[in-house]
Amino acid sequence: MDINYNDIEIGNEMPVYSSAPITRTDLVRYAGASGDFNPLHHDHTFVKLIGMKNVIAHGMLIMGIVGEAITSWIENKYLRKFGARFLSMTEPVDWDDEENTKDRATIIVSGKIVKKFEENGEKRFQCEIIAQDALGSKKLSGFFIATLP
Amino acid sequence: MADKSKIGMELPAYTFTVEKDKIIEFAIAISQKGRKEETNPIYYDEEAAKKAGYKGIIAPPTFATSSFFWTGGGLMGAIKILGIDLNRLLDREEEYEYFGNIYAGDVMTRKMKVIDMYTKGKGRRTIDVTILETELINQRGELLVKYRSTLMEI
Repeated sequence: MDINYNDIEIGNEMPVYSSAPITRTDLVRYAGASGDFNPLHHDHTFVKLIGMKNVIAHGMLIMGIVGEAITSWIENKYLRKFGARFLSMTEPVDWDDEENTKDRATIIVSGKIVKKFEENGEKRFQCEIIAQDALGSKKLSGFFIATLP
Repeated sequence: MADKSKIGMELPAYTFTVEKDKIIEFAIAISQKGRKEETNPIYYDEEAAKKAGYKGIIAPPTFATSSFFWTGGGLMGAIKILGIDLNRLLDREEEYEYFGNIYAGDVMTRKMKVIDMYTKGKGRRTIDVTILETELINQRGELLVKYRSTLMEI
């Protein structure tokens, strides 16, 4: 995975990354790991109270998955900026209806290099990113800026 | 609710230690792996991290946000200070700028302030927006990451 700055060109795509279908267990695990215990992400009685049908994934779990997608391509030490806007909610897979719900819970991350430039004395590039579920519904749009040797 | 008087308000600074086991727990959560051995070794193996060019085990790129939940009474403590309604709260945007890596064992100081608060829309369909800026500074006084969080109450 040794990529050099000269290897990348504007228009190149980042390797497509696909998550496992997000489960309620994943949400609880992320809640514990991150400390984000907003009941919206695990407590069905709270969710019903505010008029929603299902618990939803933490936006920051989706962004974390996007971070995994990026750093499995470009090493962490080269990352300079990383931004995301959350576009829609993600419901986890229902085990009692896996066939019909796994696609809404699977996050597919793709991206394209849009800019190469110099900043702070470094050669940097910018990559625009989209995360969508396997049904094509957009979850997050974002970007990262990184340097490379 | 958007309370313009809170613009510029600094939340109390907090200091916390970046625990090695917390890093791998986080790395497992975002990679959806069952065991640490299936994740990137830079998140749990000191030697592997050094071989990859780091001074030690590092934290994943979105790890910094957790400081919001570990300090100042967690989510509930922070939203109470900010006057945010939990029943309406959603993340909207997050943007990080990295100046250095966060290492296991670092003692970080979190500084957070309210950059903006405003209301969008009219009548019953209004959205309250709160923008926070957070800096994480290590025990040597080095700013490692700065990030901006946009929270919405819908």
